[in-house]
Amino acid sequence: MTRRTVVTIGAGQAAAVAARNLRRRGFDGRIVLLGDEPHPPYQRPPLSKEFLSGAEGLDSLWILPQKWLADNDIDIVTGVEVRRVDAATRAVQIDGGPDIEADAVLFATGGRPRTLPVPGPRPELIHYLRTLDDATRLAPQLTAGRRLAIVGAGFIGLELAATATAAGVHVTVVDPAPLPLARVIGTAMGQAVCRLHRDSGVDLRTGSALDAVRTTADGVVVDIADGSTVHADVAVVGIGITPNIDAAAATGLHLDDGIVTDAAGRTSIAHIFAAGDVARRYSPRAGAHVRLEHFDNASRQGAAVADAILDRGTGSDEPPWFWSDQHGRNLQFVGTAAGDPLIRGDLDGMDFTAVYLQGGAVCGAFSVERGEDIMAVRELLGREVDTAALCDEDTDLWDLVYDDEEVHA
Amino acid sequence: MTAEWVAVATVNEMGRRRKLRVELNDVAIALFQAGGRVYAFADLCVHQDRSLFKGTLLHGKVICPGHQWQFDLETGYEADQGRCQPTYPVRVDDAGTIYVQPTPKRPEAAAEAEQEARA
Repeated sequence: MTRRTVVTIGAGQAAAVAARNLRRRGFDGRIVLLGDEPHPPYQRPPLSKEFLSGAEGLDSLWILPQKWLADNDIDIVTGVEVRRVDAATRAVQIDGGPDIEADAVLFATGGRPRTLPVPGPRPELIHYLRTLDDATRLAPQLTAGRRLAIVGAGFIGLELAATATAAGVHVTVVDPAPLPLARVIGTAMGQAVCRLHRDSGVDLRTGSALDAVRTTADGVVVDIADGSTVHADVAVVGIGITPNIDAAAATGLHLDDGIVTDAAGRTSIAHIFAAGDVARRYSPRAGAHVRLEHFDNASRQGAAVADAILDRGTGSDEPPWFWSDQHGRNLQFVGTAAGDPLIRGDLDGMDFTAVYLQGGAVCGAFSVERGEDIMAVRELLGREVDTAALCDEDTDLWDLVYDDEEVHA
Repeated sequence: MTAEWVAVATVNEMGRRRKLRVELNDVAIALFQAGGRVYAFADLCVHQDRSLFKGTLLHGKVICPGHQWQFDLETGYEADQGRCQPTYPVRVDDAGTIYVQPTPKRPEAAAEAEQEARA
């Protein structure tokens, strides 16, 4: 029997987790990770937080420890561009290198930052934050007393605002939306996050449509549509990502703002899979194809594809979960937001859990400093609960999960 | 060297939630009870110092409330991170008194045990 080969295009979270799970499940064939960056798989979440601030070093980022890689015979090839995969032979075609014949291919190509055209003489003052190299280039810019303009009040922009503020940087965030993150966490929680940032010293300018970002000999100028301007020494543009689909398109995969897959991560071509930020996966839970740009999603889908490659499992359809750390507060979210949430705890004191209901049933939660509640709410999703008990701090949420007196575990 | 056992609590004190935070030589310890046994973890998560006592015991894992790292109840090993939460030897006597040794188990040993359990 010939040795099977699995190739991942991309070497980020989803690819690394797929490789790890293939080995955990006993796959003894060849595993090749092809990355376009010059690094082995690393975790992206710390790039806007602990790594950027210097609290954690490079060593904390690697997903697959050196010893594990050596013990498990994983080929990591960095700095390579994949052109396409031959759909018939599953030969992975690489720029400037020989083809790699694969039995299964995982597209885990992630995304790249959406860019803004920035005229002016000093383009080097404009940063993006997606990769380790981006973070390494940005970190030394964040010194006390400097002025940082951030375009976009999404998770990257807000985490960066918090990290930079803690470093003594004067931070202005500009976003056209009336509230940050409202599309994800709703209006009420958008207001809470807005307050968190303003109370922490961030000049968060919501409802501020952008006219232009430009550089001058002196620095960066952000022109806002209402006629105001923001002057800064350095700027970061964080306005979302575009999925990396060039190689997928050249392969002939079915695309729709990402690579379309079934619930288990299979693409439109046999033995070719997709996972992570680039994948638009059918979610039975959502009843739709969804593309999620979160760490947990990449991990779960990477693991699910490993199962699919080995013809086991039916995919992972867990509710979306993510965290963020901003201004010393731990934010977490699970499920989906809907309407005005019920508040458990101290909203003004930024120590609370907001629980979203839809049709009387729990559909999601957003917490500040209460990750333990998120775990309980995850178990309550889809269930009708006693709302008075939900908001009563003397009621343990796990008592709502377990109706009887039997304690879990 | 003779192991030193320190009485830190009683099983009754663990309450309905079957978890308790105690101090031992100025180190916070999170006790969890499952399957009739008591387990002792360093309370502050090895990741970012969040309190594991505030976390959840689910499916044989202690789940940190901070970023949901999942530590194996037996070994303290976080398989996806490749890191170990310090755990301490525990003994419970017939009277229900919980004793903990103040020196953590060797994390590498726990990791190796985990690897072997998988193999």
